[in-house]
Amino acid sequence: MTLSYVPDGSPAHRLDPRSKLAVQVGFAAAAYAYTTPRGLAALTVVAVVCLRLAGGGPRSLWAYRFALPFLVAAPVVAGATLGAPWFRVDRAVETSLASYRVLLVFVVAAAYVRSTPVRDSRAAIQRTVPGRAGAFLGVGVALVFRFLPLLRRDLATAREAVAARGGDALPVRDRMRLVAVAGINRAFGRADRLGTALSARCFAWNPTLPPLAFGRVDALALGFGVGLAVVALATVV
Amino acid sequence: METRTDSVDLVGDEAATNLARAALFAALVGAFAYVSFPFPLSPAPVTLQVLGVFLAGVFLGPVWGGAALVLYLLAGALGAPVFSGGSAGLGELLGPTAGYLWSYPIAAAVVGAVVHRGATLRAVDTIGVPTLVAGMAAGVVVVYTLGVFGMMAVLGLTLGEAFLQGAAVFLPAEAAKVAVAVGIVRSDAIAAA
Repeated sequence: MTLSYVPDGSPAHRLDPRSKLAVQVGFAAAAYAYTTPRGLAALTVVAVVCLRLAGGGPRSLWAYRFALPFLVAAPVVAGATLGAPWFRVDRAVETSLASYRVLLVFVVAAAYVRSTPVRDSRAAIQRTVPGRAGAFLGVGVALVFRFLPLLRRDLATAREAVAARGGDALPVRDRMRLVAVAGINRAFGRADRLGTALSARCFAWNPTLPPLAFGRVDALALGFGVGLAVVALATVV
Repeated sequence: METRTDSVDLVGDEAATNLARAALFAALVGAFAYVSFPFPLSPAPVTLQVLGVFLAGVFLGPVWGGAALVLYLLAGALGAPVFSGGSAGLGELLGPTAGYLWSYPIAAAVVGAVVHRGATLRAVDTIGVPTLVAGMAAGVVVVYTLGVFGMMAVLGLTLGEAFLQGAAVFLPAEAAKVAVAVGIVRSDAIAAA
């Protein structure tokens, strides 16, 4: 199961995407500033509350399982030393805290992804980044969401076709080449048709965007995000 | 209800196609993240993401190739499941593999700049093998330098530890990907380039 938007009526779903992004940035800054057992304990509560407010639970975090080997291996690698005492607990503890901090940032990010539809993210980009750069990023991100499932299916089809013809026996390098060539040809084919279709439909730099508005709850969320960032900055200054 | 009377500012044909190609390449790099091959000597299965980064530089050039990978990162940060194993979210850009991810746009631009010797695109079939290998080797250096420094910063490891965990074990697989990329570019397999 991958992590994606889930329609719901949770409090986080009703927030403006920009205030949710502010909370994420503030949370990450605070997590990096307070990587102590006490600081991380407090932030754990905040992270769990964020995920609950988005209607998510432990299942939402399953998509991050691939980061776990890195996070678990790091303290072991950091603690191990060549020569006596072979394992330094202080180094391992320091790195464990760093690993745990990353996990918390993932939890808050999962709350955003679960509670924000693509259209809103796109509008948030185009209203935050001005001019053509914003339009490029907004349209491009929307197209990535649109075409990712198709290209995944193209690649899966190519792999099945290779396997069906006994390609499993080929060296890894040849299998990589066959799958990559099929993927690129499909992507270019789709891109060129899409480019023509966009031009034919008066693709413009200034389309009408869905409305975004800050509400009363957003003031709370924005204040919270900015507050976290300020607290984090306070340790640096 | 207010009425907007701005005139429509059309995107030119060439820019529209380039934008579509950049977006599709970003999606392709995301789709490559799901394709993993068990590789001898490597502790984790090898995905084709970095191959996508090299090829973005070669086929789209330094400017649009870099832009494609910026789109990839932004889409992932906003929730497209494009990072390894289908994960997404701003957290990945601050996680243990953050350095690798942030290096992708730079690496694509570097590969493109070396291979095309500047910002204007040359015909792909006129590029020699030594230039291709040099460009991608530069890309590998960018990806792993930033990746190792990212691990040091995020996980608090020393340079040696981060190099061991984050680069040494993956370099043989990268050499294979450079060979694959050169093979793809030198063959006539890509129709639309």
